[in-house]
Amino acid sequence: MNAENRIALLAAPGLLYLAALYALPLALLLTESLRDAEGALSLAAYVEFFADPFNRGVLWRTLRVAALTTLLALALAYPTALALSRARGWAQTAILVAMVLPLSVGVIVKAFAWSILFRANGAINGALMGLGVIDAPIRMLFTETALIIGAANVFLPFMVLPIYAVMRQLSPALPEAAATLGAGPFFRFFRVTLPLTLPGVIAGAAFTFSLSVSMYVIPSLIVGERQQTLSMLIARSFLFLRDEQLGATISAILLLIAIAVVLGSSWLAARVTGGRP
Amino acid sequence: MQPAAAPPAQVGGGARHLDVAAVSKSYRGQKVIDRLDFEASRGELVSLLGPSGCGKTTLLRLIAGLVSADGGDIAIGGRSVTRTPAHRRNVSVVFQNYALFPHLNVRDNVAFGLRARGREIGARVDDALALVRMGAFADRAVAALSGGQQQRVAVARALVVEPDLLLLDEPFSALDRKLRETMQVELKTLLWARAITAVFVTHDQDEALAVSSRIAVMNAGRIEQYAAPGALYDRPATPFALDFVGLSTRIAGRARRRDGEAVEIETPYGIVRAPRPGTAPAEGAPVLIGVRPERIALADAEAAPDENRIAVRLADVMALGSRTHLHGAAEADDRLLCELPGMAQTVAPGAEVTLRWRVADTLLYPL
Repeated sequence: MNAENRIALLAAPGLLYLAALYALPLALLLTESLRDAEGALSLAAYVEFFADPFNRGVLWRTLRVAALTTLLALALAYPTALALSRARGWAQTAILVAMVLPLSVGVIVKAFAWSILFRANGAINGALMGLGVIDAPIRMLFTETALIIGAANVFLPFMVLPIYAVMRQLSPALPEAAATLGAGPFFRFFRVTLPLTLPGVIAGAAFTFSLSVSMYVIPSLIVGERQQTLSMLIARSFLFLRDEQLGATISAILLLIAIAVVLGSSWLAARVTGGRP
Repeated sequence: MQPAAAPPAQVGGGARHLDVAAVSKSYRGQKVIDRLDFEASRGELVSLLGPSGCGKTTLLRLIAGLVSADGGDIAIGGRSVTRTPAHRRNVSVVFQNYALFPHLNVRDNVAFGLRARGREIGARVDDALALVRMGAFADRAVAALSGGQQQRVAVARALVVEPDLLLLDEPFSALDRKLRETMQVELKTLLWARAITAVFVTHDQDEALAVSSRIAVMNAGRIEQYAAPGALYDRPATPFALDFVGLSTRIAGRARRRDGEAVEIETPYGIVRAPRPGTAPAEGAPVLIGVRPERIALADAEAAPDENRIAVRLADVMALGSRTHLHGAAEADDRLLCELPGMAQTVAPGAEVTLRWRVADTLLYPL
């Protein structure tokens, strides 16, 4: 074993830890989902899960919410990352702190704060009615829109930081070179800045999507039982229905989605960089 | 590459193709460019030469439109572009590290400007690549190219759009010494052949002397002197230009009195005479004397009437192959440097020698 390979041994404690407390229980869970009533290997649990329209609805909602959350976070994060990479001194510090600080406030605290904001007699409805925009309070709490807005808020830093990390590597001379070659702002953005920061966008989107697909606390507090997501369904299966196999099956589906996101994003990232370092 | 073309007939004096008039630029209250005037004739290759921080790159960025001027006017081909954004100026830039687009291959890098302007590409990209002898590399990734090849691509990318003006920011600084000289000759020949007006920004005096018809020596946001290389070297207008371009002997002294066509100066090494400038310094005024080192020789025979002679002790003798540098023991900030051709072996450090040079070769600056 040469010196470079020996250094890989430093990862051993962490890997062992993950193997014992992540891979092993997960494998047990997976095996559980692949057994039929007699304990033989079978996909029966999956067939049963997908046969139920309610389950399909939850799966579809989970993916839809995750996708829309990712899009909303991307729309907010890209300009922020651009500003962060161009700003200097205190302005940069201020943006960075504004991005990272909310991470230190627990999701539960935020979610309760939002319910104050969103509820029928909450701040938003109060303001809208006071301005005469609406006559009666609109329902925001327990809607998918509220969930997407809340989730995008929580996951925004996970979108901003990977994009910023790539953007700060982007030499400012490249858009400048494009300008001197006759490229206007739009051409510069779509042919230079965006393609070169796409790896950051892909990484950020993969993070945000994975986090949104598996979120539990935010939907529990914002939409409650009314509009379930896969994670809530898993919790309900284990805690209330005591149906471990259903819980294990949904967990496996969630895991497959996560793996698909990771593989898909690495494939995409490799494509857009075209083998560049 | 084509055989060496003749240099453009016009060396200044022609119609002003680039005209920078009284341009100023400050960053955070600090003046980087201070009411600066600069011009270049059509087809001329000129250099902005100065130490880092002198404002030369800012001036280049002002001309390119990458930063906007606080005041003054910039005109290209008789048209004011002061308020024109960079992408409408038709001024190409070869950046210091070339700024090639890493996500595009060589061909697409060169085609970028044509695409951005919605122009037909046709054979232009291949022609431009052939011009810089990079035709065989069209489909390569730019990261796979050497420094010299990247520079050629950057030049092709800048020229394919047929710019009204080409700006080059330290274009050779990333190349090693040998390649640098080859690329200088290559680029100069190419630009001459196509009668392209170009401004080089450099801190390297050899580079400026090698490529340009005129050199603007910049210092602290101003142009100290703008002249042809020969004139700049032989007649530096200021002590800064004297120091920044080439080597020199420099001696601080005091003006004594006028003596016909010459002024006598009292120095720690004796009386030295210099040609009388337009406005002669007052008696007792502090002055600086400069002499190019190759104008100085060791005295053997009698003094001629139009010569200066000073006796010095040699502090060091540096044999540099084609030439030998003799350093005299000097006072304070003075520098006594004599350059002899070849490997002079007759003198050694510690020797007492007499340096001589013509009065006409003596440069005089008020301090």
